[in-house]
Amino acid sequence: MYGLMLRRACRDIKKNVGRYLALMVLIGFAVYMVLSMMGSAMSIIDQSADYDVILNVEDGQFTVFVPLNATELDKLISSGVSVEEHFSLDYEVLDGSVIRVFKNREDIDLITLHEGRLAETDNEAVLERRYCEEHGIKIGDTFELGGKSFTVTGIGAAPDYNMPVRNLSDTAVDSVAFGLMFITPSAYDSLLSEGNSMKSEDYVYAYRLNGAMSDDDLKAILEENEFDVADIDDPFFQEYWEEMVGRKDDLLEGIDDLNEGAQELRDGVNDLDSGVDELVDGVGEMQDAMPDLQSGANSLYSGASDLSSGIGSYTSGVSAATAGANELNDGIGQLSSGCSDLAAGSDQYMAGLCELNDTAYALSLSEDPFTAQIAGSFYQATSGLVAGYSGIDQGIDSVAQGTAAASSGASELAGGLNTLDSNSAALNSGASSLQNGIGEMRTGINELSDGVDELVDGVDELDSGVDELVDGMNEYADGVDEFTSEANDLIDEVFDIDTSNLVVYLPVADNARIDAAPDDVKNNLYSAMFVGVVALILFAYVISVFVVHSVDQESSVIGALYSLGVRRSALAFGYIVVPAIAAFIAGVIGTLVAVYASFGIPSNMQESFDYYSMPDMGPQVQPFLLIYGLVLPAVITILVNVLVIRGRLTRTPLSLLKNEQKAVKARDIKLGKMKFIPLFRIRQLLREMRTGFTVIFGMFLALLIVMLALNTFIYCYRVKELNVANTHYEYMYTYKYPEKEVPEGGYEAVFEETTKEFEGYNFDVALVGLTRNNPFFDMSALGDKDSEVILSASFAYKYHLSVGDEFTLTSKDGDKLYAFKVAGINDYQASMMVFMDIDACRDLFGESNDYFNAVFSDHPLEIESGRLNSTTTKKDIESASGVFVDSMKSLITTLIIAGAVIFVVVMYLMVKMMLDRAAFNISLVKVFGFKNGEVKKMYLDGNMIMIVAGALVCIPLCKAILNYVYPNFLVANVNTGLSQAFPLYIYGGVFAAILFLYFLISQVLFISIKRTTPALVLKNRE
Amino acid sequence: MYIETKGLKKSYGEGGSFVQVLKGVDIGIRAGEMCVIQGTSGSGKSTLLNCLGGLDSIDTGSVTVAGTSVEKLKGEKLADYRRKNLGFIFQFYNLVPNLTVRENIQVCEYLSKSPLDMNELLEVLGMSEHADKFPSQLSGGQQQRCAIARALVKNPKVLLCDEPTGALDSKTSRDILMLLEKINAKYDTTMIIVTHNNSIKNMVDHVIYIKDGEVSKDYYNEVKVPACDLEDL
Ligand SMILES: Nc1ncnc2c1ncn2[C@@H]1O[C@H](COP(=O)(O)OP(=O)(O)OP(=O)(O)O)[C@@H](O)[C@H]1O
Ligand SMILES: [Mg+2]
Repeated sequence: MYGLMLRRACRDIKKNVGRYLALMVLIGFAVYMVLSMMGSAMSIIDQSADYDVILNVEDGQFTVFVPLNATELDKLISSGVSVEEHFSLDYEVLDGSVIRVFKNREDIDLITLHEGRLAETDNEAVLERRYCEEHGIKIGDTFELGGKSFTVTGIGAAPDYNMPVRNLSDTAVDSVAFGLMFITPSAYDSLLSEGNSMKSEDYVYAYRLNGAMSDDDLKAILEENEFDVADIDDPFFQEYWEEMVGRKDDLLEGIDDLNEGAQELRDGVNDLDSGVDELVDGVGEMQDAMPDLQSGANSLYSGASDLSSGIGSYTSGVSAATAGANELNDGIGQLSSGCSDLAAGSDQYMAGLCELNDTAYALSLSEDPFTAQIAGSFYQATSGLVAGYSGIDQGIDSVAQGTAAASSGASELAGGLNTLDSNSAALNSGASSLQNGIGEMRTGINELSDGVDELVDGVDELDSGVDELVDGMNEYADGVDEFTSEANDLIDEVFDIDTSNLVVYLPVADNARIDAAPDDVKNNLYSAMFVGVVALILFAYVISVFVVHSVDQESSVIGALYSLGVRRSALAFGYIVVPAIAAFIAGVIGTLVAVYASFGIPSNMQESFDYYSMPDMGPQVQPFLLIYGLVLPAVITILVNVLVIRGRLTRTPLSLLKNEQKAVKARDIKLGKMKFIPLFRIRQLLREMRTGFTVIFGMFLALLIVMLALNTFIYCYRVKELNVANTHYEYMYTYKYPEKEVPEGGYEAVFEETTKEFEGYNFDVALVGLTRNNPFFDMSALGDKDSEVILSASFAYKYHLSVGDEFTLTSKDGDKLYAFKVAGINDYQASMMVFMDIDACRDLFGESNDYFNAVFSDHPLEIESGRLNSTTTKKDIESASGVFVDSMKSLITTLIIAGAVIFVVVMYLMVKMMLDRAAFNISLVKVFGFKNGEVKKMYLDGNMIMIVAGALVCIPLCKAILNYVYPNFLVANVNTGLSQAFPLYIYGGVFAAILFLYFLISQVLFISIKRTTPALVLKNRE
Repeated sequence: MYIETKGLKKSYGEGGSFVQVLKGVDIGIRAGEMCVIQGTSGSGKSTLLNCLGGLDSIDTGSVTVAGTSVEKLKGEKLADYRRKNLGFIFQFYNLVPNLTVRENIQVCEYLSKSPLDMNELLEVLGMSEHADKFPSQLSGGQQQRCAIARALVKNPKVLLCDEPTGALDSKTSRDILMLLEKINAKYDTTMIIVTHNNSIKNMVDHVIYIKDGEVSKDYYNEVKVPACDLEDL
C-alpha cells in the first residue's frame, strides 16, 4: 500500500519538477547557510573550551600597585592558588601602533603558536597573529621596539587576549593599531630598565583558583595586602602618595583644630561667665554710687555760674584798652611818616651839597689861577659843610628808623588787644555753654541713675543666660570630642582602602577579552538555529499549500478510497512522502555543502579568525549539526504538512466525495454592488487566503532577514560615522598619578570607572566629572542637583534610558551603588560615559576641590608618560570604528540576497499555484471571451493589494521585532548602544524593492496566463 | 435479514435550511440478493445508501449489516467495517489519477486478507489489456469497470452502487450491468444499486421505491429479465 502511494507520489513529482526543485534549492540553501553558521559557531565554542583547558586559561587576573612580595605570594601559593606574573609594558612602534610586551608564559594563559617557536634568546620575539596579519609580518622579520630590535621567531595568540583590545572598554578590535609581543624574561627586564615605555609598567597577575578557594576569598586576601610606600620607586607615585598622605594629615589637623577650638570656646564661655558675675557686682556698685554723682553735679553747676560773671568783667576792661591802643597806633603812624619825609629831604640836600663840593673842587684845579684860588677857598668851605651836614643827615635817619619801630610796636599792641577783644565774646558764650552743659549733665546723671537700675536687672538676666550657655558649651565640647574620635577612625578607614595593594580584580567572567570569540558566535549559533527553523517552517508551509491543493483536487478520490476502507495514514503518507524526501535530500545537500565546501563552515570560521586572536582550529561536525541538517528539514516538513492536511483528511468520506468546501465565513461577506473586476479580485483573494497567507509569511521571513541585514548595516555604519563625528576632543588623557596643575590648554575632568550590567554582561561605564565650560561635551541640560547627570548617546541607547529616568552604576569593586537621574543626553558615541558636574563628582568620591585625573584637549599636551594611565586620540577612535563595517560587509550582502531569494521564490511559487488552481476558471473565462489583459487583472493584479498590505504590516512588524531582539540579544555583548532607527528612505527602499520584485514576478506569471488555453476546460473534466 | 434498517431517520441542516431527508425507513435485504433502490431525484436514495455504507451518520433508528450495528461504529471501527464488508461504486469513478488501472485495484487488494485474483478479475471485467494504462487514457466505461474491479478485488460481502451507469451510454451501461449480474452469480455478493433508471429494476430480485424519504413500494420480482435483454437503458 505505502509502496503504491510512494509510486503515485513520485509520478506527481514529474508534473511539478520545477516547483520541487525551487523548494529544494531554498531548503538546501537555508540548511547550508544555517549549518555553516552553526557549525562554525559550534566548532569555535567547542574547541575554545578545549583550548581553555590545554592552555590553562586563567580564572581571573588582578592588578596591583606594587608587585606582591615573597610572603604574600607564598601565602597564595601555599593555599593552592596558582599565580603568574603577566606584567606588561606598552611601546609605540614606528607606524604609530602600540605593542604590549609580555614575558613568555610558563603556567597560565599559555601562548599558542600559529607558526614558528617561542622566543629563546633575548633578541627573539613572538608576535600576536592578528597584528602580524594586518602588518604583513612573517617569521624571520626584524621588529624594532623600545630602541631594540627583535627577530620574529613565532606568530601566535594568548587566550587572555582572545579579543586583542588595548583597553577593556574598547568597543572594537583594531589590530592595525594594537598587538602583543612575548619575549624572554631577561629581554623584558632589559627593556624595562631602558624606560622607554609609553606608560608605567602594569602589574597584572593571572591566577587559577584550582578549587582551593572562591573568587571572593581570593579578593578578600588580596584586599588585605598593603603595600609599603617605600617600595615604590616611581616618582609620580611618590608625589601622588605625599599628596594623599598630606590630605589625610590636613584632615586630621583640621579635626584637631576643631577639637582645640571647642576647648577654647568652653574656656572662653567659662571666663565669660565669671566676667558677667563681676559685671553684676560692678553694676551694683555703680548703682550705689549714683546719689554722690548727682550731688557732685549740682556743685559743679553753681561753680560754673560764678565763672560766667567773672569773665563778663574781664571782657569789658579789655575792650577799653583796645580803643586806647588803636588811637596811640594812629598817632605814632603819622609821626613815623613825617620822620621818613624829613629823612628823604635831608638826603636830597646832602646830595646837592656834594655836587657843589665836587664842582668847587673841579674849579680849584682850573688853569686860571684866580678861578683856581677862589674856587679853592670855596671848596674848603663846601667840604666842611658837607662833612657837617652828613652828621645831621645820619641823625635824621636814626629818628626815622626809631619812629618806624615805634609805629610797628603800636600796631602790634593794637592787633593784640583787638584779638583779645574779639575772643571775649567767645569766652562769654563758652562760659554760659559750660553752665548749660553742666545743667544737662545733671539731668543726664539723673537719667543715668534710672538706666543703671535697669542695667542691673538686665545684667541679672544676662548672668542666668550665660549660665545656660555654659551648660550648652559643655555639651558641645563633649560632642566635638566624640566627633573627633569617630572622625579619626573614619579617616583611618577611608585612607586604609587606598593603602590596599589591589587595584583591579577581574574574574574571567567579567573579562571581555577572554573567550570573546566563542561568546560572539554563540549569538550566531542561536540566531542561525532560530532563523533556520523559521525558514524551514516557511518552506514546509509552502509545500503544504501544494499538498493541500492536491488534496482538494483529489478530494473525491480520497473519499472513494476511504469508503473502500483505505486508512487515513496511508493517504497522508502518500501526500507527504515526496515533500519529506525532497526536504531530506535538500537537507543532505545543504549539509554536505556546509561541511565540505570551503565556503561553508570554514569560510564562516574565517570571519572569526579575521577579527579575534585565536589559536588554530578546524571545522568540526557535531552530531547535533547532522541532526539539524539531515533530520530537521524532513521532520519539519512532515509535521507542518500533517498539521495542515490533517484537517482535510479527517473530513468524512462523504464530504470528501462531494468535495464540499469548508464553509469559510469570509467567503460569505456581502460584497454589495461593486464593479465586477474589483469584486472578482476580492473573491479570488478570499478564496486563496491560505496561499496569500503563505506569501505574507514568506515576505515576513524575507523581510526579517533583510531588515536584520539593514539593521546590522545601520549599526556598523553609525558606529563608524557617529563615533568619529560626535567626538569633539582630539586627545583624552587619563592619569594614573594625577598632577596638581591642569596642563595648558587642557580641560580637567574626574574620571571614575564604574560598571553596569546588561543581559548578563558587565560593561565598563566611565563616570566623568566635567567643568561646565568643557567645550567637547554638551552639558547644557545639566541642572544644579548633584545627582543629575548627562548621558552619552551610546550609554543611553544601550540601557534604554531617557531624560527623567533614574538608574544606578556599580563601583568597580562591586561594593557601592551610585544612583543618578538623567538630566540630558548628549551626542557622544565613542564609549559609554556618564557626565556630571566636576565638583559634584569630586564630592561623590571624596576628592579635594582641585582634584582631576583626566584631561581633554584639542591638541597634544605635555604630560609625562609615567603619570598616564591611557591616552585616547580621535584617530584611535576613527580607526577602530571602521573595523565593524569591514567585518560585517559579507554578512550583510549574504543576508540581503538570501532574503530576496526567499521572497521571490515563495511568492513565485505561491502565485503560480493560485493560477494553477484557477486554471480551469481562467480557461473558462477565456471561453466566455475575456482577453489576457482582463484575466491578468482578475487573477494576478489583485495580489498587489495583498503584497502592499502585507508589506505595510510586515515592514514595521519586522523592525519592531528587531528593535527588541537586535540590541538585547544580537549585540548585547558589544559595549556601545546606538539608535536603531532607520532613516525613512530605507523603509521606502525596502517597500519599493518588494513592489519591484512583485512586478517582475507578475510579468513572468503573465506568460502562464497567456498559455492557459480555452481547450483546458475540455481536458480538465473527466 | 442480512441488511436491515428500522425507523431510520436522517436530516440535514438547522433552522431555515432544515431538511428531513429520511423520515423513518424500514427495509430488509437478504444475503446474496440484488436489490434496486429507485426514486425521483432528491428523494433520498443516495442518503439511504450512504447510511447503509456508514459514510453518513443517522439521526435515529438502526442500521444492521451482516449482524453489525453500523450506527454504533465510529472512527477506525467504522473504517474496519467498511474495509471488511463493503465495496463502493460511484457515478463518477474516482480513480487515483496517477496510478495505473492495476495499481488502482492493488490499492484495495491490500485491504483484504483473501482478495480475489487480480488477473482473473481483470479478465472477467475485460480490462486485461488496459491494466497498465492510467485512468486518463481510458474511456468512461473502462474507468467504471476499473472502479468496479477496485470495489470487488477485496471480495466484499456487500456492493453498494450509486448510479453506476449514470454517466454511461446504453451499450456501456448494459455491459456494466451484465458484469454486476455475473459477479453476483459468481461470488454471491449482495448488491444494492441506486438508480433512477426504470429498466434496471427488472433484472434484480428486490425493488424498493423511495418517495420523499419514505419507502413507498417494496417488492420482489417474480421473474427476472437478464441484463442482456433489458430495454431502454
Ligand atoms: N449535505 C446535505 N445538506 C443538506 N441537504 C442535503 C445534503 N445532502 C443531501 N441533501 C438533501 O437531501 C435530499 C436527498 O438527497 P439525495 O442525494 O439522497 O437524493 P437522491 O435521491 O440521491 O437524488 P438524485 O437521484 O438526484 O441523486 C435532497 O433534497 C438534498 O437536497
Ligand atoms: Mg443520488
